[in-house]
Amino acid sequence: MNESSLCIHCTLPIPRGMNISHRDGDAELRFCCQGCLGAYLIIRGAGLEAFYARRQWVEAGVAPGSFEARFSDDALEECVSLQQEHSRMNLLLEGIRCASCVWLIEKIIGALEGIDSIRVNYATHRVQILFDRSHATPASIVESIARLGYLPRPWSARNHHLQAERERRTLLIRFSAAAFLSMQLMGYSAALYAGYFQGIAPQSRQLLQILSAVVAAPVIFYCGAPFLQGALRALRLGTPNMDMLISIGVLCAYGYSLYALAVGGEVYFDSASMIVTLVLLGRIFESMARGKASCAVDRLLSLSPQRAKVLEETAGAQPAIRDTPSHQVEAGALIRVYPGEAFPLDALLLRGSTEVDAAVVTGESRPVVKSAGDEILAGAINLGPAVDLQVLRRAEHSYLSRMAALVEDAQSRRAPIQRQADRISAIFVPLVLLLALATGLYWALVQGDTTSAWLCAISVLVVACPCALGLATPTAILVATGAASRRGILFRGGDIVEACSQIKTLAFDKTGTLTEGRPRILAIEAVGIDEIELLRLGGVLESGSSHPLGRAICEEVQRRGLQAPPPAGHLAIAGMGVEIDFEGHPLRGGSRRFLEDSGIVVQNLCGAEQTEVLFASGDRYLGRMLFEDSPRPEASSSLALLRRMGLHCMLLTGDRKDVGERVAQELGIEEVACELSPGEKAKRIQKRQLTGELMMIGDGINDAPALAEARVGCAMAGGTDIALESSDLVFTRPDLMRLPLAIALSRRTLSIIRQNLFWAFSYNLIAMPLAATGQLAPIYSALAMVSSSVLVLGNSLRLNRFKEPL
Amino acid sequence: MLQSTVALILLSLFLGCAAWLLFVWAVRRGQFDDPEGPKYRMLEDDDLPRTPKPPEDSA
Repeated sequence: MNESSLCIHCTLPIPRGMNISHRDGDAELRFCCQGCLGAYLIIRGAGLEAFYARRQWVEAGVAPGSFEARFSDDALEECVSLQQEHSRMNLLLEGIRCASCVWLIEKIIGALEGIDSIRVNYATHRVQILFDRSHATPASIVESIARLGYLPRPWSARNHHLQAERERRTLLIRFSAAAFLSMQLMGYSAALYAGYFQGIAPQSRQLLQILSAVVAAPVIFYCGAPFLQGALRALRLGTPNMDMLISIGVLCAYGYSLYALAVGGEVYFDSASMIVTLVLLGRIFESMARGKASCAVDRLLSLSPQRAKVLEETAGAQPAIRDTPSHQVEAGALIRVYPGEAFPLDALLLRGSTEVDAAVVTGESRPVVKSAGDEILAGAINLGPAVDLQVLRRAEHSYLSRMAALVEDAQSRRAPIQRQADRISAIFVPLVLLLALATGLYWALVQGDTTSAWLCAISVLVVACPCALGLATPTAILVATGAASRRGILFRGGDIVEACSQIKTLAFDKTGTLTEGRPRILAIEAVGIDEIELLRLGGVLESGSSHPLGRAICEEVQRRGLQAPPPAGHLAIAGMGVEIDFEGHPLRGGSRRFLEDSGIVVQNLCGAEQTEVLFASGDRYLGRMLFEDSPRPEASSSLALLRRMGLHCMLLTGDRKDVGERVAQELGIEEVACELSPGEKAKRIQKRQLTGELMMIGDGINDAPALAEARVGCAMAGGTDIALESSDLVFTRPDLMRLPLAIALSRRTLSIIRQNLFWAFSYNLIAMPLAATGQLAPIYSALAMVSSSVLVLGNSLRLNRFKEPL
Repeated sequence: MLQSTVALILLSLFLGCAAWLLFVWAVRRGQFDDPEGPKYRMLEDDDLPRTPKPPEDSA
């Protein structure tokens, strides 16, 4: 495929016979359709040709023909809201691939009449437009965006989105206030500590202490309000949790410091506010991860088009076509889907046959032939002719919706580390309270000394304040995730690091995970002609093809530097093959059945189990090409390393039995299960999960339920967005060697955490009795607390120097 | 001595508060909603002076 056969605007191949061009001085620019020419002229007219130079596309674009949909004002009304004198519209854009798309949309749409402002969010692909009703209509704006080559979908802000966004913002504000005030407090404390050791005027000391009390108050009562409320709720329900421990620790430190301020002792306002700040920081990370996950579900649902073309029986011969929102279409209705469009609903094919690309839905990399009576899933793309279908299910019961529900469900069920922390605190909190109470009572009743009773009881609470205990896990996790991300491994949360270290079994998906997910020519078996000549003919035949096997042939032709002129007259038969007129003879290429149906005698060759394309010129059989989706080069060494680490590997694939078993044998995988549907994969994982922790490694949307079901879901880079975001562990490089590294790092992290916890507990065990008996003066207990925290931090930092296992 | 300490502490608090209020204002305007885009946005040279204003509230 050479440069001139690609569209200037969209870089998709130009179909045979299309001759749309534009003269620009000497150069003739060729386009694949009028839409692209139109888009090019708009961009040029606005003086923004720089777009073509600066764009860098890494994601696949929108399928051709996706823009057939018309937009009406009524349908868009649901995503328009009023804001003062403006109207506001939210859209979800499909086809944004890089930052220059954002730039282009903002420039062009922003310059239209009636548009007050436009902002495209690159992270969520959402666009918000403020416009003036009297100068622009929603439909005109949406159509201008569609003309640029992006597919806008109405996006109505659901309540839980708005709420999550508001929460994230208040959290950010609370944290910033806490961080700023804590830093101020540190300054005062430094002065106070220096004063303790070197002497300080009592006046200055008191002034600094009073200032500390004033500055710490908003940190605890405003910034700490979320967990004070949480503690109050826990108290009312009678279930002690981590919130309660933090609240008691913070309140005790603050209360005691106020008391100390009154009687002239040492104050601990800084440690109280520091705890609040650190806990808030943890919450921000958590909410960021959650926001990303809900974004994934949204995008999954937006895969299927939201409008369907419903056929209505009329008296005449031609049925009328009505454009209807897909959620209003009932089961049993008839719909029509044009070439290049996505199927809006799960439906049954009524007549004829077509080829569909269901890669985004099922992960199957090859187009699938569907004939009358077959079921086609929403979200798949029609590669063949226009077809009529009967709707099987309403939109909310479609395969994609169920998949989104599965992912959402699995995500919401996950918080084991939180539960574990709550279980520990359920014991720890009452124990500490009891001990403090016992200490107070002992000193008050047995010794008859009320001041000492207060001092010792509070001393126990301050010493028990879970500083080192609280730092033990998060610091190790923080350092480990940082070290991992530098090596291309992203753990989505601390619980994932923990879970990774406990993994016993690894379940792999085949296509795109163990293999490269792209067919390549394995062998060329020419009969009667030269191998190179056969390849060249193949290149001629397939030069306009978007079929993966056709593209594999064109790649090979290009790699060997052969010339394959694009032919005239090109006839593709869905799922079967291609036929052209070449030098007077019909040149055919396709499946075995395609050639046999055309009356060509195919010589029987062994090894028919591989993917193959056969060729014939006229009646003469020319030979065939064999294809293979080869395993990644590093797959076998990675798997060998994983086995040495004591992990059991299994292969779960939707592919045919012989293909799956061959790959398993090549890589030495003991357990293979083939021909599984996404649901079956998830079920199998659920069953295996009972006998030991399991990690699923995959990509593609069909893996999303399995990824979510497994204890740890791991996505390789290059997979679909949905798979990446519904997984817990993501590799930024498509390299299987990351996997043993990630597991080794997580194991190391857990051993560091155990060391930290051991130290923190023994510190508490030693310090608490001392505090209870009045042996530990507050300033020394503070010193002990600080040194224990430093020790824990230092231990965690050792993870930075993690060596790769090889 | 004491007076100057008090004055300096209050001054630092005041300055810090001003910075914090600026941050709060930025958060409310949605400046922290898209952590991905701006790093690319800065690379774009604006030869056309008609960049639209970002919306007041992108909730």
